[in-house]
Amino acid sequence: MTRVIEVPAHFDDRSFDTFAAGFGEWPPAEKILLDARGTQWASPYGLIGLLTAGQALAEAKREKPLLTVPTNDEVKRYWARAGFFHQAADLFELHGKVPRSTTTGPSDVLLDVTPVRASEDVHGVVDKISEGASRILHGELGLEMKATLRFSMALSEACQNIVEHAGTSGWVAVQAYTFRRRLGRRVVVIAVSDAGVGFRRSLESTHAKRFGERWGDGAALEAALIQGVSRFRDPGRGQGLAFIKRFLDQWEGKISIRSGTARLSIVPPWDEDVPLSDHLPSFPGAQVQIIIPAQDSKPR
Amino acid sequence: MIQTIRIGSLLREAVSAPYRNLVTRPTGVAVRTRIEETLADSGCLTALLDFSEIELVDLSCADEVVAKLLLTVRTAYFVVLQGLREDHHEAIDHVLTHHHLAVAAVPPDSCRPRLLGWVSADAREAFAHIGGSGPLGVADLARGLGWSKTRSSEALADLAFNRLVQTIGELYYPLQTA
Repeated sequence: MTRVIEVPAHFDDRSFDTFAAGFGEWPPAEKILLDARGTQWASPYGLIGLLTAGQALAEAKREKPLLTVPTNDEVKRYWARAGFFHQAADLFELHGKVPRSTTTGPSDVLLDVTPVRASEDVHGVVDKISEGASRILHGELGLEMKATLRFSMALSEACQNIVEHAGTSGWVAVQAYTFRRRLGRRVVVIAVSDAGVGFRRSLESTHAKRFGERWGDGAALEAALIQGVSRFRDPGRGQGLAFIKRFLDQWEGKISIRSGTARLSIVPPWDEDVPLSDHLPSFPGAQVQIIIPAQDSKPR
Repeated sequence: MIQTIRIGSLLREAVSAPYRNLVTRPTGVAVRTRIEETLADSGCLTALLDFSEIELVDLSCADEVVAKLLLTVRTAYFVVLQGLREDHHEAIDHVLTHHHLAVAAVPPDSCRPRLLGWVSADAREAFAHIGGSGPLGVADLARGLGWSKTRSSEALADLAFNRLVQTIGELYYPLQTA
């Protein structure tokens, strides 16, 4: 039997739950076919979410899933330019014509879909991002110059969470685009995802007890993002997310983390998201999205 | 005697690559270990850590290289930072404040160090005063700032405990930076 899961036409953090619901219980027993033929647009979060699903199925030793590529040529070209097909080829049996990846000149893709397996990969990601980040953050989004370094720090810390806590590898992608529907401004989006143990299991042995019956995916996210706790006893740990939260607040940025069946967001005034969504369809590992919007002209 | 340690060189040795970004905990641990080895071999009392070749310091490395170094060696050495940019300050200040630690940092355009991290307001004021006046005793500080001797004594003891001034006899000296 093959379970067919339709990739949403507009695939981002909002439609991700519909996608996750398609899998049912993890890991699904049937062979999986991800049908992206009708997909018209995918955010970096959506793209690396697809890869995470493929990775989780491989790690659960399930049959290699099938992926039918979008029929829209423009969408396919973007996915190729973002490096998606290059990474997906190992995880999926691809069906449909895949264009070759071509990049010429400056692109809105600040960082291709990139695997994060070890600390060396984090060095590579930070090195690669620095030039393009300055061009977009300062040049296009109107952020102060030092924002580029804070941005790189945020990226570094988010990627390190995979290496240190996930227990497996993950993915990162960074892109600039115009956030028409929700904001009407340019944004830079960092998306980081892994197929690992998730926040609840990572923190369970050290923090579940004090939460008692409240302990779950939502409480674990709250402990990590709001209270800055870590599974390590080392008092220097757990500062990365706190720092990211602080500077996002200055820039009216947004961070949301989905893990297991919950998603916790620090919601800026321009967004209508709820801070905590619980009882969502289960999905492996953790998915982080950081959005930094173009600054308006008011003084800060 | 001062031992100047170029963090950029140690980073290149630690990661065996021409990176200029001080990121990730394993890298931070490797760099800190090399700093400790260099200090153990040098016989110097003051370590001047030069960050001028470093592009980015993330929080993990600020914690591993600076905070944990202070926690490890602060009974044996005086540590001063130099070559820091404004954004380096931010990461280092953040982690040191978290640990209730402080370090002296020499700005690029001055030889008078400033403090990063957490000390009491009185200790911070006393540090700035010593930086301007040079070596002084408890009574000198009390006179200079219009404080009681007890208050001056406590502020100087705080600085001495955090290895932010050097004590010789009854006098408190600003840290050597050159």
